[in-house]
Amino acid sequence: MTWGLAADSLGVVSNHSSHRAHRAVPRAVRLFALALTAALVGVLAVLGLPAPSAQAAPQDSCAPAGLESASAAPVNLAAAEQGGEDRYTTPTTVPVDSIDVGALELLVPGKLSVGTLSDAGPSICVNSKGVFTGFDNELLKAVAEKLGLQIEFNGTEFAGLLSQVANNRFDVGSSSITTTDDRRKTVDFTNGYDFGYFALVAPNGGPVKSFGDLSAATRIAVVQGTVQDDYVVNTLGLDPVKFPDYATAYANLKSGQVDAWVAPSQQAEGAVRDGDGTSIVENTFSVNNFIAWAVGKNKPNLVAALNSGLDAVIADGTYAKLYEDWVPRELPEGWKPGSKAAPEPDLQDIAAVAAANAEKNVPGEATKPKSTLQQLGDTFFNWELYEKSFPELIKVGLVNTLILSVVSGVLGTILGMILAICGISRSRWLRWPARVYTDIFRGLPAVVVILIVGLGIGPVVKGITGNNPYWLGAVALALLAAAYIGEIFRSGIQSVDEGQLEASRAIGFSYRQSMRLVVVPQGVRRVLPALMNQFISLIKDSSLVYFLGLLASQRELFAVGRDLNAQTGNLSPLVAAGIMYLILTIPLTHLVNHIDRRLRTGRPADVQDDPLPVTAVEKG
Amino acid sequence: MSATTTRKAVSLTGTGLHLSFGKHHVLQGVDIQVDAGTTTTVIGPSGSGKSTLLRVLNRLYEPDSGDILLDGRSVLKDNPDELRRRIGMVFQHFNLFPHKTVVENVALGPRKLKGLSKDEAREVALRQLEIVGLTNKADVRPARLSGGQQQRVAIARALAMAPEVMFFDEATSALDPELVKGVLALMADLATEGMTMVVVTHEMGFARNVSDNVLFMDHGVVVETGAPDEIFDDAKSDRLRTFLSQVL
Repeated sequence: MTWGLAADSLGVVSNHSSHRAHRAVPRAVRLFALALTAALVGVLAVLGLPAPSAQAAPQDSCAPAGLESASAAPVNLAAAEQGGEDRYTTPTTVPVDSIDVGALELLVPGKLSVGTLSDAGPSICVNSKGVFTGFDNELLKAVAEKLGLQIEFNGTEFAGLLSQVANNRFDVGSSSITTTDDRRKTVDFTNGYDFGYFALVAPNGGPVKSFGDLSAATRIAVVQGTVQDDYVVNTLGLDPVKFPDYATAYANLKSGQVDAWVAPSQQAEGAVRDGDGTSIVENTFSVNNFIAWAVGKNKPNLVAALNSGLDAVIADGTYAKLYEDWVPRELPEGWKPGSKAAPEPDLQDIAAVAAANAEKNVPGEATKPKSTLQQLGDTFFNWELYEKSFPELIKVGLVNTLILSVVSGVLGTILGMILAICGISRSRWLRWPARVYTDIFRGLPAVVVILIVGLGIGPVVKGITGNNPYWLGAVALALLAAAYIGEIFRSGIQSVDEGQLEASRAIGFSYRQSMRLVVVPQGVRRVLPALMNQFISLIKDSSLVYFLGLLASQRELFAVGRDLNAQTGNLSPLVAAGIMYLILTIPLTHLVNHIDRRLRTGRPADVQDDPLPVTAVEKG
Repeated sequence: MSATTTRKAVSLTGTGLHLSFGKHHVLQGVDIQVDAGTTTTVIGPSGSGKSTLLRVLNRLYEPDSGDILLDGRSVLKDNPDELRRRIGMVFQHFNLFPHKTVVENVALGPRKLKGLSKDEAREVALRQLEIVGLTNKADVRPARLSGGQQQRVAIARALAMAPEVMFFDEATSALDPELVKGVLALMADLATEGMTMVVVTHEMGFARNVSDNVLFMDHGVVVETGAPDEIFDDAKSDRLRTFLSQVL
């Protein structure tokens, strides 16, 4: 061999110096990320500072307040609509011990699966330990115990609750559901265990002082699908602003985005605090629409059993105790819980207790409404709540967010690879289905896919999932991600120079071997940054699994933040959840940028085992 | 110097080869005869169908009509993958696999197609790299090599399959002038050793000095063919004379 290597090796030497310049980059990236984080924390600190020392511990609306909170029947009661006769309450019930628990139409024998909400204390809520509770749920627990049933609570959205009960996602809906004739078309109800006033909440000193003041020009907040929604639309004939939950509705009233809020009285009383600058200006009541648990159609045994259990807990005094602990209010004239044969609950004279309480709490100095800035500071940057939120966000939320996004990421990548290979196939029978799938799933909003998969496929596969939508949620996310990942892979594979396939085939590899050994590995490498971006989207989209109804232990970051937000009426836990997302996503974003830069410039020359550079082949 | 150990020299023949891409009639009845152990150079202006001819001869493109004989036997009915294992090919742009190291590039074929173990394939690859003088670059990625080095790796990769025929498709056109020499020297060595070769090139020096036969193509047909002397010193057609006056 005569020809030398001197000329060639020159090129390598010059490469060394240029690579050294690139090595400084990762350090700069790290510094930048650090600075960004510091800046973020700094901003939070500055904004939060004015408030902390003055703050009382935020009131927990999800703990029994006891008779301290007793209230008489509202004095500002609008002319009550007197309903006709009570057509639905059963005259009597069978004794609890004569009920055949095996004959109940339960999804899982021996276990009562309950759909409930997390944000409507004191009736239904998640407490600071992450347990579903509230008057309705504690009472239902007592009923289940009477019947010898286990009980399991799942958080969901009110708007979807009745359809989830009707579709056998849950055995029972427990959510201060006011019975209406419309709702009786979808589900059956037990006898009433509570009654409901509607409260009208409005800013102090504003133009809205009674239901009569509401007009087409008033922006009225309601929770979508509630009786209040129905009342404002059909009885008042107005067009309300619909929110997904009570906490959001009230937050909008406080910040002035809406002019009034029509809510169940319990929720309104739980939400309105001193210093909010709002008050309950009027209540209204309909004796015909009591509050009851919802059960799927055609489950007479279950309804009868719950009715028997309810009468039993009224008879043994459990009802009275829970009622006085959680929601002590004067019973309205002419109404009592349970069947017509049930005894009156043995309650103290709540009106008298309320009067005595009112005397004790002589309005010393009326709490001054806080300034808007103070209000905002309190709402977003309450340190105590941050301290309280982070442990649960990390222990429950972070774990579930990571499980959901990693599982759906892995599934989505596998499915996406299959889609990509079908998409570049020479057979149209593979190409077209891949195309159709991609078009459909890329064209749908994530939340629609999650609801359709979770609620549509859920009942079909409940034998496998045990009616637990958690993994269905992960699958729905994976189906969505696959459509995007498939396109990412396809574009990556198709961007590989044709000469690579030609060279591989010239060696003697078949088309399939060439794709597997040469083309696909290169295509995948060059789309790593896009894949990482997709994973970041998944982390964020995993918050939507919340819509399917999760056990308290299955809640991901957003659901945990939102429940704490609902429980305290303060947005700080959501901000904390947001910070957790940023802690996950910002480093990933910078990792993506780093990989991207490496792909374009190559790796430092002194590292031999380089999986990345793809710029080797000169373009002709 | 010995490029390869034992190899049977075979002949390669193409007769009446036609190929169209849609309306574009790229090969319009090409005949080529490469005797065992000889080197045929294919010259001609860009777009005359030289590179396409190579790809038809190893069936990367299937001819519309005509026949291909290797060692006197038609190979059109064989599995094309098996045919290509017998014909090594070197490309203008090297087409090394950037995600694999130099030695992995060379070892891939022997390992996956000849069923050698990982170590055996590496052994074979290192032997080929020694022949092209790049053992010291075995474990780096092609991106860190110069063009000349990359093309030598590509030649080693082709030779690692112990082919009976070698194709070179403008193997030096993408190289900086100072790197051309090394690659041409390697090709000349192969020719001297009796490898059957078809070389598409713009290097008229190589065509004249190394090849046994020169084939001049234009517009998808073979215009003239003959020994280098006949082509370069005694051109019969106007087209060849015009072409030579432009490139020489």
